[in-house]
Amino acid sequence: MRARVMLVVVATITLEVTAIIQFVYAQKEIKKEASLRAESELKSAENKIMDVVDQAEAAVRNSIWVAAWCLEYPDSIARIPQRVLSENPVVVGSTMALVPGYNESLPLYAPYATRDLETGEIKMLSLATEEYDYPSQEWFVKPMELQDSYWSEPYFDENGGDILMTTFSMPVKDKNGEVAAILTADISLDWLTEYIGKIKVYPNAFNMVISRSGQIMVCPVETLVMQTTVNQFALESEDYEALDRVNQAMLAGQAGEMPVRYQGQTNHVYFSPVERTGWSLSIVLPEKELYSGVRRVGMLVAILQLLGLAMLIVILRVVTKNQAKYQRLNEQKERMENELHIAREIQMAMIPKTFPPFPERKDLDLAASIIPAKEVGGDLYDFFIRDEKLFFCIGDVSGKGIPASLVMAVTRSLFRAMSAHEDSPAKIITLMNNSMSETNESNMFVTFFCGVLDLKAGQLRYCNAGHNPPMILTDAIRMLPVEPNLPLGILNGMDFIEQETSFQYDDALFLYTDGLSEAENISQEQFGETRIERTLHGKKRSEEHLENIKQQVSLFVGEAPQSDDLTMLFVHYLGDMNKDSYHLSLHNDIGQIALLPEFVETVAEKAQLDHEAVFNLNLALEEAISNVIMYAYPEGTDGTVDIEAVVDGKHVSFVITDSGKPFDPTGKEEVNINAEVAERPIGGLGIHLVRTIMDTVSYERKDEKNILTITKNY
Amino acid sequence: MEVNITRENNIITVRFSGRLDTPGAQKINPQMNALAEEASKTIILDCTDLSYISSSGLRIFLTLRKAAADRGGKIIIRNICDDIRNVFMMTGFLNLFEIHSYNCNNCN
Repeated sequence: MRARVMLVVVATITLEVTAIIQFVYAQKEIKKEASLRAESELKSAENKIMDVVDQAEAAVRNSIWVAAWCLEYPDSIARIPQRVLSENPVVVGSTMALVPGYNESLPLYAPYATRDLETGEIKMLSLATEEYDYPSQEWFVKPMELQDSYWSEPYFDENGGDILMTTFSMPVKDKNGEVAAILTADISLDWLTEYIGKIKVYPNAFNMVISRSGQIMVCPVETLVMQTTVNQFALESEDYEALDRVNQAMLAGQAGEMPVRYQGQTNHVYFSPVERTGWSLSIVLPEKELYSGVRRVGMLVAILQLLGLAMLIVILRVVTKNQAKYQRLNEQKERMENELHIAREIQMAMIPKTFPPFPERKDLDLAASIIPAKEVGGDLYDFFIRDEKLFFCIGDVSGKGIPASLVMAVTRSLFRAMSAHEDSPAKIITLMNNSMSETNESNMFVTFFCGVLDLKAGQLRYCNAGHNPPMILTDAIRMLPVEPNLPLGILNGMDFIEQETSFQYDDALFLYTDGLSEAENISQEQFGETRIERTLHGKKRSEEHLENIKQQVSLFVGEAPQSDDLTMLFVHYLGDMNKDSYHLSLHNDIGQIALLPEFVETVAEKAQLDHEAVFNLNLALEEAISNVIMYAYPEGTDGTVDIEAVVDGKHVSFVITDSGKPFDPTGKEEVNINAEVAERPIGGLGIHLVRTIMDTVSYERKDEKNILTITKNY
Repeated sequence: MEVNITRENNIITVRFSGRLDTPGAQKINPQMNALAEEASKTIILDCTDLSYISSSGLRIFLTLRKAAADRGGKIIIRNICDDIRNVFMMTGFLNLFEIHSYNCNNCN
């Protein structure tokens, strides 16, 4: 959330800073551009004016020498202005006014040539009238004072209506160098008004021309033209100081640009002087207009940026929302997996996991193992003993995950329920199948193998429901022949075929799920049955077998991930249907040795031993117990020696137990039977005979008892 | 276990009959010890009727054999059955004794 806000803030700041930089830069550029345009317009206007001014000046200057000459011939003076006018179309009026008193016969003489407004023909008038009093007019006075040419202030033509005029005057000197007359050329400024008005740098920009005295000559507000000076205008304006500065600069004949506030807006005034005339041209640009383009673009950019930001916020919201959703889903998944694992642990806890499971039983050596895959699977095994029968099963639920795990729990419960009173594996499986297929809406099935081993008789009854056949380990290792049948949960009412085989001492059954046979290495090879068979070779305890297989699988699989549960069950039968045990208890009286032959005879009969074997067994047994009878207990005290004889198909064992003082006959040194008579010791022959006759001799001191076990293999 | 001793021309014949097990050995031990005093003569241990022998019996035989060796006498074992011969083999007695005939009347 914080990150999101930060992101928006940073994006906004970046965009805004960029926009501001862009805006400032654009403004500068635009102002530069505007200045260039204004200056170039001013320049071109000035050129245009100068062109007219030059023509007017030339018209006068070109006639000066003629005018000087005419001073000698007063009759011809009137022809001078006529000539000026006729030769120069820009000139609208011209006079040659004699300095009063220069010519005594002509005290005031100023013939004026002008064009008829209608016909355009040149007509002659006289300015030497009393009411006009030309010697007092500016165009006459100024060049007299200056002794040089002079451009008059603009003025409205008195006889020609509203035509704005200006006059170029030049002194005419006689041969003595004395000013004798003033020659003038009037030009109309109408073209100027028109021309200047046409210059439009920007739609709302306007132009002004002021005279050297500050008279407004050209201006869009017509009421101001020739009515007001810029100084008067400035006095009435809101930004007097700025305007005054502009005015002073313009009147001083400077060129430049200055900002001025007018009617609440900032304006930029570009101004430039017009040579000789003393005029000043100016262009006024309202700032608003100047930057309106930039402002429009800036506005557009700002709107786009806002839209972008809005989109960014929307996208961020969607993203964070999705993220939150994803996170929530992930947490849910994790929680579910967690719960699933707990459920699985509970199930696993129901399955017997303590090994060896029946430590008190010598006739059974059983081990099992589940290596669960990362994903929760549905393997199971189970076993228990009831009525001297071992009930065991292994199963693999189709699929993985929660459903498989649940079905596995159900399967295990059903196995326990059905096998509680039923001894036939086929019946157990049939009942389980009916129960499962009745309610199996998810169409999950379980491959299942169930066996019931009669521990006394060594009889194994079994039934397979679609599981892979177990391996039976007798003298050789081979697959247990199984009817395939259908897995559990597929077909209600299906009959399962039961099979049976008989177990001998040391036979074993190895059951597993396809997690073992189909364990894959990185090259996707499967562990396979051949490897299983190879690994099972050799007589070992069940747990050793399982450890062995785990190691081999682990070596084979290497880094490849375990994709399925790996479940194994090893049932190692150590009982024997022919096995019997016989017991003989003797007092510590040497005469009791006489009881041995009959005891050995009974044992030997069961073991179907020949005469020699009986003789040897008798001898070994006598040797083993005679010492005990004679020396284990202090003289005069009663003591007993217990003999337990165990006979199975392959061995005869005697376990001799007494409670006398500790005595380990196996610790005795071996006698040298090849020694000469003199070197032969009298003792040591007894234990030598036991060792020679029997295959294993072992001694144990346990619970204050000497336990000597001697075994003969057949 | 019964033992019958007969003397004829410096030859002492000892006839064993029954099982020479630990109790049996204990029973005949005094007679045998006395016989060891006469070990300078030739002693024939007739095992025709001996059906069983344990290390206690072997010890008696060995004692006589040692006594004979000491006194310059001679021990001859006559007629042992296969079972006892087997025991002799296991204990190296075949090399220690002069054995005449392996016939046996009383082997089960």
